[in-house]
Amino acid sequence: MSTEPTILVVDDNRDNVEILRTFLESRGYRVASAEDGRSALAKVEEVQPRLVLLDVMMPGMDGWQVCRTIKNHPDHAGTKVVMVTAKGDFEDKFEGMRSGADDYVVKPVDLGELEEKVRRNLEAGERGS
Amino acid sequence: MKILARVQDGTLQEAVAEAAPQLSAELLTVSGGNGRSSEQQLVDGLRSHPAVVIVEAAATVSLRRLREETRARGVALVVVCASSDEVRDAVEVRVDEWMMLPVTANELVGRIQGALRRTRESEAPELTSRAAEHLRYEELLYDRFTGFPTLPVMLERGRTMLERTGRLTILYIEFVRYSKLEEIYGWQKLDEVLQTTANAVRTFYDRQRGDEESLLMVSHTGDDDFIFFTELQAPPETTERRINEIAEALESHVRQQLESTHGEDIGGLFGIYVGATTIFRNPKIRTERLIYRGIREAAQAARSVENRERTRKITDLKTVLREGLVEIAYHPIVVTGTEEVYGYEALARGTLRGLRSPEVMFGVADEANLIWELSRLCRRRAIEGVSMHLEPDQLLFLNIDPHDFRDPTFRYLDVDELGVEHPERIVLEITERTAITDYPKFQEYLRTFREQGFRFAVDDAGSGYAGLGSIANLSPDFIKLDISLISGIDTNFMKQNLVETMVSFANDHGIKVIAEGVEREEEYESVKSLGVHFTQGFLFHQPRFMTSAAEPPAN
Repeated sequence: MSTEPTILVVDDNRDNVEILRTFLESRGYRVASAEDGRSALAKVEEVQPRLVLLDVMMPGMDGWQVCRTIKNHPDHAGTKVVMVTAKGDFEDKFEGMRSGADDYVVKPVDLGELEEKVRRNLEAGERGS
Repeated sequence: MKILARVQDGTLQEAVAEAAPQLSAELLTVSGGNGRSSEQQLVDGLRSHPAVVIVEAAATVSLRRLREETRARGVALVVVCASSDEVRDAVEVRVDEWMMLPVTANELVGRIQGALRRTRESEAPELTSRAAEHLRYEELLYDRFTGFPTLPVMLERGRTMLERTGRLTILYIEFVRYSKLEEIYGWQKLDEVLQTTANAVRTFYDRQRGDEESLLMVSHTGDDDFIFFTELQAPPETTERRINEIAEALESHVRQQLESTHGEDIGGLFGIYVGATTIFRNPKIRTERLIYRGIREAAQAARSVENRERTRKITDLKTVLREGLVEIAYHPIVVTGTEEVYGYEALARGTLRGLRSPEVMFGVADEANLIWELSRLCRRRAIEGVSMHLEPDQLLFLNIDPHDFRDPTFRYLDVDELGVEHPERIVLEITERTAITDYPKFQEYLRTFREQGFRFAVDDAGSGYAGLGSIANLSPDFIKLDISLISGIDTNFMKQNLVETMVSFANDHGIKVIAEGVEREEEYESVKSLGVHFTQGFLFHQPRFMTSAAEPPAN
């Protein structure tokens, strides 16, 4: 079994998913994906990713709720959650913090910045609880 | 009647298999497993016209879709959940019934009947008039929160008991919480505590059943109370003693569970009061009526126990106020980096047993309308300790309760009476929430207090009531970052980013930032590198205590 950490990309826009998947796989990560909140939660259970890249704006269950559900789950609370948000204003970040998110990136996503944030969160995950 | 079930859990399967014949129903099962084919099989199964569908929340990919399909066909939907998150989802989707694992066949039978009734009624609403004394109890078909069966389901059993031995003992367990609980801890904590209580009552019940086989339990949603029915094998002379034994054992068991799960402070914020009554078969009166009346009597008995307790607590509080039985703990606030003590936050605790926790003490004071008096006492004590515990250049941080704004003694703060020699050394802490909610008053007092030299801190900043702009408008001298922002900040970049923004903002406005709740070395390192000016938390010196002025300080 491969030891590269699994990253779960959650976004209702398939193009976004593909861009992120292609990029992250080229950097050596294993990538899984989901298109909405409910299937994201099912995927977390199934694939046990180390990190989830979570789009905030999704129809149905929104990203904040998915984040809270993951972070409140006894088995998955250690999974890192990075929110992908269209605005990076203070209130939004606060909402994210309160939902338990570990980090955020702002759309349109700068891939270099994304890679750095993925790396630092995975590393923090190894260091911390 | 047909029951369609898709369940994987072994004991649940057994329970369903046992329940079906009790309902004279044919059982159809769909194989478990994830994936589309299983979901599809379930939907196909709907075409065979079952009356009710039973699924496990965990194994169902789209509960919403299943709800739509079942509703369209007038089929009842019962969902078995393993966690409170699953319960919330089920409730959100408006299933007909939900249950928490583990589940017994009897419970299932009751729930399925309820779900069927609900489905029937939603199609053809009937207007039945019920006697007022029954309405309160009968509306509550099922306890949505604790998962215990409720009264109408258990009524049959109670009736059987009564008719078998001619008597029935009813225990009413009243569960009371201080109103401050939700205010201080939020509704989520309240839910958790209720769940712990329900579990504790359940384990007590399971244990007792060994001794008292006739013990039946119901629950009563509206007020989060519980009702036990028992035939009590004991002979009549010892009945009362036996009831008291059960009541005391139950109370201490629940309290112990609450304290060990949530801490002594929260445990103290609840009261459990047990009242009991025994009813006797009377051929002239309808059994149901007898039972409802008995429940009312038991409830009243519980209430009078509660009133006695409450009175005792208030009497104790008055003793605290009269004799000044309050001690102050001084929590150090240090300069980040040098760790030199910049000041101390004063936190008051009662010294009388039962009123030790500040939340309980203030909770009782709130209910007895003695908040002002208590606040004044605590302030006075805190200030008295200054000369003994603080260096001349160290500041004293004092918490202000929202009620203090209405206290005339506080509004027209008599600096001399309070014994404050140097107002410039006092920092008044107001929570972000109070500052924003009482904004106009707060602004006004700010001016008055400032003129005398007092300074202000916004406490619990970042707990979400206000944007930075609103906080800036208050022009506080200090902002204290809530522990939720600091906890685990070393591995959470979101929090780091937020704190960085707040520090930068504070620096632009001449405000100093204090990080609360620093408990680990790593958190302190992060806080240091983010430029937070002051730090508070258990990582530093243990707080120092001061008992009443006459006694030497305890360490």
